[in-house]
Amino acid sequence: MNFLAIGTEIAIALLMLIVLAADLLLPKDVSHRRIGVISMVGLAVILVYTFGQYHIGASPTFFGGLFFVDNYALFFKQLFIIGMLFTILFSLEYTEKLLRYRGEFYVLLLSALLGMCVMASANDFITTFVGLELMTVSFYILVGARMTSEDSSEAAVKYLIVGAASTAVMLYGMSLVYGAAGSLVFSEVCRNIHLFYAAGLAGVIMVIIGFFFKLSVIPFHMWAPDVYQGAPTPVTALLAMGSKAAGIAVFMRILYTAFPILGNFWLPLLAGFAALCMIGGNIMAIRQTDIKRMLAYSSIAQAGYMMVGMAAADLAGMKAVLFYAMLYVFANLGAFAVLTVIDTERGGTSRRDITGLAQAAPLLAAVMTISLLSMAGIPPTAGFAGKLYLFTAVVERGYLWLAFVGFVMSMISVYYYLMVAKAMYRDLTPEEAEYAAPVYVPLTVRAAVLVSVFATLGLGICPEWLASLTNAAVQTFMR
Amino acid sequence: MHNGILLTAAGWIRDILTFLFGNELLVNILMTLVGIGAIISVILTSAIVFTYAERKVCAFMQVRIGPNRVGGRFGLLQPVADMLKLMSKEDIIPNGCDRVVWSLSPMLLFVPSALIYSFFPFDDGAILADVNVGLFLLLAISSQAVLPFLMGGYASNSKYAMIGGMRTVAQMLSYEAPMAFSLIGVVMLTGSMKMSAIVEAQATHTWFVLLQPIAFVIYLITATAETNRTPFDLVEDESEIVAGPFTEYSGMRWALFFLAEYANLLSISILTTTLFLGGWHGPVLPGAVWFWLKVLVMIFVFMWFRWTFPRTRIDQMLSFSWKVLLPLALVNMLLTGVGIYLYQSLC
Amino acid sequence: MNDLILSLHRLIDMGMTMAEELGTPEIILAAVFYVFAGISVLGALGVVLGRNIVHSALCLTASFIGIGCLYIFLSADFLGAVQFLVYGGAVAILIVMAIMLTRREDMAHSNPSRSIPHQLAALVVAGMFLLAMAAVALMSPFQTAPADIGDTVTGIADLMLTKYVLPFEIVAVLLLIAMIGAIILAKGVDES
Repeated sequence: MNFLAIGTEIAIALLMLIVLAADLLLPKDVSHRRIGVISMVGLAVILVYTFGQYHIGASPTFFGGLFFVDNYALFFKQLFIIGMLFTILFSLEYTEKLLRYRGEFYVLLLSALLGMCVMASANDFITTFVGLELMTVSFYILVGARMTSEDSSEAAVKYLIVGAASTAVMLYGMSLVYGAAGSLVFSEVCRNIHLFYAAGLAGVIMVIIGFFFKLSVIPFHMWAPDVYQGAPTPVTALLAMGSKAAGIAVFMRILYTAFPILGNFWLPLLAGFAALCMIGGNIMAIRQTDIKRMLAYSSIAQAGYMMVGMAAADLAGMKAVLFYAMLYVFANLGAFAVLTVIDTERGGTSRRDITGLAQAAPLLAAVMTISLLSMAGIPPTAGFAGKLYLFTAVVERGYLWLAFVGFVMSMISVYYYLMVAKAMYRDLTPEEAEYAAPVYVPLTVRAAVLVSVFATLGLGICPEWLASLTNAAVQTFMR
Repeated sequence: MHNGILLTAAGWIRDILTFLFGNELLVNILMTLVGIGAIISVILTSAIVFTYAERKVCAFMQVRIGPNRVGGRFGLLQPVADMLKLMSKEDIIPNGCDRVVWSLSPMLLFVPSALIYSFFPFDDGAILADVNVGLFLLLAISSQAVLPFLMGGYASNSKYAMIGGMRTVAQMLSYEAPMAFSLIGVVMLTGSMKMSAIVEAQATHTWFVLLQPIAFVIYLITATAETNRTPFDLVEDESEIVAGPFTEYSGMRWALFFLAEYANLLSISILTTTLFLGGWHGPVLPGAVWFWLKVLVMIFVFMWFRWTFPRTRIDQMLSFSWKVLLPLALVNMLLTGVGIYLYQSLC
Repeated sequence: MNDLILSLHRLIDMGMTMAEELGTPEIILAAVFYVFAGISVLGALGVVLGRNIVHSALCLTASFIGIGCLYIFLSADFLGAVQFLVYGGAVAILIVMAIMLTRREDMAHSNPSRSIPHQLAALVVAGMFLLAMAAVALMSPFQTAPADIGDTVTGIADLMLTKYVLPFEIVAVLLLIAMIGAIILAKGVDES
């Protein structure tokens, strides 16, 4: 047994238990920021530790190859840890002021992280499913964590019902795949020719549909806007970057290692849905006035962009997806850190609430603009480099039309992203003078947004650093 | 290899049937029916005996005489009189009740109570279904007895019945967990969930009541609660909710609830005997006799509980289950594991 | 007397042989299967079609128990017991209790979404799915397990504690989290 292989997971689980115990020992009326600090320090240590796990030779596995720690998994784990670390950093104030159960909030965040990490390494359907459930169950609770808000409870119930239905579909698909292929391990499933029979195909389709639900791909997206809008803002951030990236990580692994022989079936499907996502997500985002809701539709479109890379189905496409997922995390961090502050201070995230932010908190307005531009893919932000990688990868595989759709839709997305910038930067009318009053920006949020902006701009100017990491990540993919 | 008197008796019946019908398959089927009939008759007889015993024990504890009119000085025919009374009563169906659910409830309650008898080893080899997940299946089936209470409580359209139904669920669900966990100690010692194997293990080692005293105590308490007997009879707490889920039932429907209750009393006594008191094993006397002796002692113990302890409060008993019994059962599991490890490494 | 019994034996033997030839054992097995399958399917239909939501919940229990019986019929006795204990014994009861605690004035028409378009849509979707799955089941060759799969408890225990130990442990974390979540959601806001 190679316990080093599951070192990251053990460390996260331990951290979770420590936080749980700390919460128990801490008196109720004391600030719970220190618990957040404990989790952040722990996550930082784990992040450093994961860098040491990158390797060139054979990847370590746990228990007969059911748990696979290749560089690909490591990359995604780092992505999740970074996302979680900075989310905790910018939500310390929010948690303290708006949430009823502060200590448990951190525990649930860490358990969601654990679920994501398990998914990234999973090499069989059972581990995938258990990791997925750990993540989604944590999110069901996190989405409803804002007890005083009706929206939050409604979002939690909606997420629970749609989530449970999609899980049922996916699980049924997995059972059919098992029935056809006689194995749950990805690499063994792919070797079994029975997958070509009707049961196997039906199973594959259901598994794919289940993942489409989780990634909120159109037309399986109906839960996303309400849930994103109702959830506590930091949780929305994690749903957009963590949950989605985890879904993509395991979806890509399943497609490439378990169902590669069915590639002719799912590649056109993937390309079609990617186009649908980009078109639908961007067009529906235009009409939104709530920023969180707008970002929900935008995240649907972003999932579409990432699926473009998956449709390329080669190393270049994979690299592009990894690159894009990482920069999307940084862009999201910036945008949601700003939204979290606004939600805490002004009690909402509609376009009206960010009016005059340029005067109230110039730093936040700047960060928001840069983050949104990165999502739109405007140079010199990282988003441009990411989309460049994605579209070149797919064009080389002959999907010219897909790249074209992606390009046009990116241009359209600039419109609604800039609408937000306009709301922040336009001159205030005399009646709106109150919006010019300075907004309190905690030091932790400043740190978080600065990191996100530097990362977004830095990766935009010299993407090589991250690109070399993604190279290392795909090099050992299932070798 | 088996040679209990029950098995010998079964052998005679089989001989007679073989002589009459010849075909082996048919005889096997008939023998299963004979077994089922025997179990049903045990349950019915026990209900008759227990009504009498309960009254007498109660009277003894309260320094009274008890039944003494019907059937001689000792009132031996009292159960018959009770039965006649129940049968001649009017079957009242309350207004506004949910007819189907209401009439299903007493019948469904009796099914799991009777079903679990097929897993009890009454004597050497005298067990109807000796499956390898016996104990687990037994617990699973007995857990089905909760819903009928709730059905009865809901369908009666009466608030006492409703509250009683809710209480039943709260009580039975919270006591099922410590019960199952306490029995895991026994399973760990045996290494099997097969009922006959559990009895055998006690014959080769010693009674599990000595090896698993904590589990035994937890089991006794939870079993009392599972059968809704005082001090845990919150379900049919006369002073608060009339008769709980049974409030609106009368006549034979009520008698079915009553029957199920005594079937449960007998089954927990049998289970205690089988799991902790060595089952049918014992010196000199035949196995079946030992078995029933132990069972009767256990039944007396449960009746003793009933007439000596005052009733608890519902919140007290729920927190007692979750905060005391469950942790204790978990600790017992841990201790058992350590004990087994030490035993294996030392011997 | 002896002759009478001998002729009775002969008659019974003849009857049994005839039954054997007509395939009675298979018919009985099939009948057992169809009874339990019928309970599960009818129960599931009752959940959807019942007008009273309490009846729906009770039908759900019947469906669970039918499925548990099917497991046992397939000699997965451990799984069957788990189904009884977890679904019939706990999940169903919690559902019924939750429904009763949030009781409305009139339970008779408490099951929502019974408008005609809804029903039609549901019928079409369910029918399509049924057809698709029937086609799938007919068109694919399933590998069947040997008739006697032996001791399932030992097999499950072996798999859970060796090959699938990691998912097993993660499920423990999952349960812990579900418990924490249930507690904080149930405690809600108004506890101060």
